[in-house]
Amino acid sequence: MKNSLGKLLLVLLCSLWLNAKDFKHHFTLSNTSPYVKEAVLMTLDLSQTNRDKVLFFHFALKKSPDYEFHRLNVKETEEHHTAQVHYEYLIYPLRAGEIQLHFNLVQKATTEENLAYSFSGDRDNVKGLTTVDTQIDLPPLALKIKALPKGTSLVGDFNLTHSLKTNKAKAYEPLPFQVTITGSGYLPLLENLLPENINFTLFKEKPIVNAVNSSQGTSSTVIYSMAFSHSKSFDLGPIVLKAFNPKTKKSYELTVPKQHFDISKADVKSLVDKIDSPKPVKSDLSWLTTILTSLLSYFVVFGAGYLTAISLKWKKKNPAQTSHPLKEKIEACTDEKALQQLLMATDSKQFALSIEKLEKGLYGNGKINFNKVKQEVLEMLK
Amino acid sequence: MNKKITQLKQELSKAVIGQETMIEGLLIGLLCDGHILVEGVPGLAKTTTINAFSKALGLDFKRIQFTPDLLPSDIIGAQIYNPQDHSFSIKKGPLFTHLLLADEINRAPAKVQSALLEVMQERQVTIAEETFKLESPFLVMATQNPIEQEGVYALPEAQLDRFMMKIVVQHNSEEEELEIMRKGASKSFAEVQKVLSIEELHTLQKALEKIHIDKELEQYIVHLISATRDPAKFNLASITESIMFGASPRASIDLYKAAKAKAFLRGNDFVSPADIGYVVHDVLRHRIVLSYEARAKGVSADEIISTIVETLPIP
Repeated sequence: MKNSLGKLLLVLLCSLWLNAKDFKHHFTLSNTSPYVKEAVLMTLDLSQTNRDKVLFFHFALKKSPDYEFHRLNVKETEEHHTAQVHYEYLIYPLRAGEIQLHFNLVQKATTEENLAYSFSGDRDNVKGLTTVDTQIDLPPLALKIKALPKGTSLVGDFNLTHSLKTNKAKAYEPLPFQVTITGSGYLPLLENLLPENINFTLFKEKPIVNAVNSSQGTSSTVIYSMAFSHSKSFDLGPIVLKAFNPKTKKSYELTVPKQHFDISKADVKSLVDKIDSPKPVKSDLSWLTTILTSLLSYFVVFGAGYLTAISLKWKKKNPAQTSHPLKEKIEACTDEKALQQLLMATDSKQFALSIEKLEKGLYGNGKINFNKVKQEVLEMLK
Repeated sequence: MNKKITQLKQELSKAVIGQETMIEGLLIGLLCDGHILVEGVPGLAKTTTINAFSKALGLDFKRIQFTPDLLPSDIIGAQIYNPQDHSFSIKKGPLFTHLLLADEINRAPAKVQSALLEVMQERQVTIAEETFKLESPFLVMATQNPIEQEGVYALPEAQLDRFMMKIVVQHNSEEEELEIMRKGASKSFAEVQKVLSIEELHTLQKALEKIHIDKELEQYIVHLISATRDPAKFNLASITESIMFGASPRASIDLYKAAKAKAFLRGNDFVSPADIGYVVHDVLRHRIVLSYEARAKGVSADEIISTIVETLPIP
């Protein structure tokens, strides 16, 4: 009897819980007991069960120092009453032991009317979708993580190559060196690639990473570029990276053999620049030259104009000061007719009397004293 | 007849002191039926002179102040609608007079200048469909101010040619100015009396025709005019570059008539070379179009005329 009551209560509670949820969910994990840094594919399918509502979902993995994750894919149907969403995540556990994956799921419920209203907006009049948000507590998923062999620095299937342009240089000349790690597995990013206690100067760049995440794991190429410099010959000890392949469950080593670098003395004379390169910056005074040229041109033109004006004045003044052309012409006249013609040309009323006298002499009967008339005219000009 | 001229001059001297050049120019214009362009600064008794002329001759006198907004109808008249009897009547403009003073003619635009100058030439006015003959004598004395060049419309050469003479009025001498000052202050300018009737004026004009002019002097006039057109032909190559256009045939006619009038005014019945010499500058100075080079060098039309007179031998 007691058992029957207990079973009935359990069925009732399950039924209530199921009725309270408007959807069902389903998790899958590719591996529940992976090694540290071994890729685990996790999927989640959400399927709406309550067809009366319009449902949307917001799902995300919670961040944790125990694992690292990448979302690979999200597929969702556009049926508003039968929403179905499929999530894919690639997870890399970061520590050994049991870890839990925690989730954040929000159910967003709305109505057809709200949906229609939100669609009625446009670019300049956005109308938000009103939803009733419900935080759903999904139980965490547990993973039992296996530890890696001691000293393992890379997890996956990788190849290592190195390149060296030359191993001979002059003192303090840089010697470029490059190491490339290619393969699939946890991203082979190492803080210290070179052995410790190096006795030369190291110049290094941030590694160049090309990585693609997929359901199969992460395929990547990481390039470490660096350069060495020293005043005398030196050795680079062998680089040994211990790696573990979870698929084969075997450890292996990636190595770069010992390298020797020959350093010769630098020619000090050749280090001193004899030619400035780039050329030293000179102050640009072209603007000053332009201004001075313009000013000079202005003064030249102004001066020329001024002198021309002055010269015209001189031209006008000088003849008056030195000579009197009319006076000279009158003095040169030898007869009445010539003098009359000259006085007529002056268009001056002051000579009217003299012209009349000359006329009388020329066309009338009266005789005149030409020299006297001439003298009178000259007197008038004084 | 010379007595009448002397009386006229005496009568004019009551109102105008000095300015013999302008008075003589106006007399020549009246005797020859020509029009006079007077250039001079304001205040040189231009209006007083022509007003005194109208009184001394018993002629009508009107004055038009030319302004940029003047219209042709403002000077020639217009047809006006009478709303009482629904008819149009002719309102004659100030042009219908014997003596007209066109003050500052170059302040009006070309269309108004043309309207006036056409009337000066034709001596008749057409308003609407009616043509009116102007009474004789009809003399226009136009003035222009030589110092103001802003906002003026220069008279075209073709229109300038219709003025018989261009008189340049100078300031009076100091003695004359002293007399003007005294008379002006005491308002003691005597009233000008009529001394000549229109009939007598017509008689004087006819008498002018009897003035003899020798063929050689006629030739001399033609040579003077030709020398303005083709100076090189008269050994005047030095002024060739200074002249753009020479004087027109109208200049020959006006110089011929003006020389006769001058001889008449001097009391002679024949024209002497001096008579031509007295008027040649006034007749030609507005008819010679100077070249750009001449204007740049400051050569005036008077200088060119003087050179021609000085070079061409008088008969």
